[in-house]
Amino acid sequence: MSSRTAPARTAPAFFFALALTIICCAPSHANSVTIDDSGTQALDPSVSMRWKTATPARSAADNVMIGTTIIRVRINVMPWLKHSGRIYLSLPAQQPGPIRLSWITQGRFLPGQVQSGNRTLIYSGPITAPFMEDTLTLQFVVDGSHMQRAVPVTYHFEMDES
Amino acid sequence: MGAVLLAGFSSLAPAYTVTLDPASPKAIYLQVGAGGFTADYCGGTTYPPQHATPDCGPNYGGGTPENNATINLVSGTVASGSVGNRTAVAMTTNSTVTNSYLDGYVFCSVPAQLYIGGFYRTTGAATAAASVTATVPAALKDATGDSIAFSQIAWTSSGNGDSGAEPFSAGTFVSGGVQTVGSMASNSWNESCLTFSYLNTVVPPSGTYTGAVLYTMSAP
Repeated sequence: MSSRTAPARTAPAFFFALALTIICCAPSHANSVTIDDSGTQALDPSVSMRWKTATPARSAADNVMIGTTIIRVRINVMPWLKHSGRIYLSLPAQQPGPIRLSWITQGRFLPGQVQSGNRTLIYSGPITAPFMEDTLTLQFVVDGSHMQRAVPVTYHFEMDES
Repeated sequence: MGAVLLAGFSSLAPAYTVTLDPASPKAIYLQVGAGGFTADYCGGTTYPPQHATPDCGPNYGGGTPENNATINLVSGTVASGSVGNRTAVAMTTNSTVTNSYLDGYVFCSVPAQLYIGGFYRTTGAATAAASVTATVPAALKDATGDSIAFSQIAWTSSGNGDSGAEPFSAGTFVSGGVQTVGSMASNSWNESCLTFSYLNTVVPPSGTYTGAVLYTMSAP
């Protein structure tokens, strides 16, 4: 008797699992494309990291370091010309550990902040020119306990097509 | 067709890289008695500060350490009838430092206590603590060459509101030696208030005896 009932119970479970898989993986980054930012220039590609506070706190270890640099962003959006798109600044998870990046802009892109391993929207709307440009002042915040030497940090711009 | 075009374009797209470079990451600061900051701690002269600690330093209107050449005096007087009676004599300081430069907290009481504090900044994982040593002459001397061993001077350690171990513990000077008097864990502010006393177990000739102890901080 039990050997007959088992298949009947298995089938709905299978379909349920399949439906969950489709829901979870389809929409968010399916159409994300890394944008060519080879025209971007940093005024100083080496970001001098300094202690956030010259004096550390009394009790707990105080290891926050900050550094600021300015970049002239020039991204090639020609493939999406005359379409609408959503552009993100993406900061992958990487050494030297958790990184917080915040930025201000000259107005072409949105100001914002992002934690490593995530991305943040910087533009949403029509793509009306083959290149988009802005000057961003970036501020990196890291844990100084992970900063024994100079560390390269990578970020990129992504387009979500709509 | 569009998908093929985008895929090919994506493969050309570089990620942008900057280098995070820890600039001048190491710093040490030791203050025995009077110290010096380029501006008030945490941008204010009241405790608690106007903004949340530890947001101090120049970015918040606070200060950074600077040199202070002041040498503070700790002194005591033994009444003529009490010399050598083994009853310790409290010593006082001419230092007026009561507040912590970190946040303005009133930490020590003067003239009974001498402030000692500082920090050791370094990047990377927590390292061995920085040490503070005292270089102690063999004896205090008077104008005629009489002497009292420095080991006649001892101190206790405390601080307003403190509980638990002090970074600069109680001790007694070792005559003619270099002794460790405290340690500072990396990236934290360390401070204590030292209360000195003359042990009064010897009978020297009357006179004014002086000597200087040099405190030195060494970081790994």
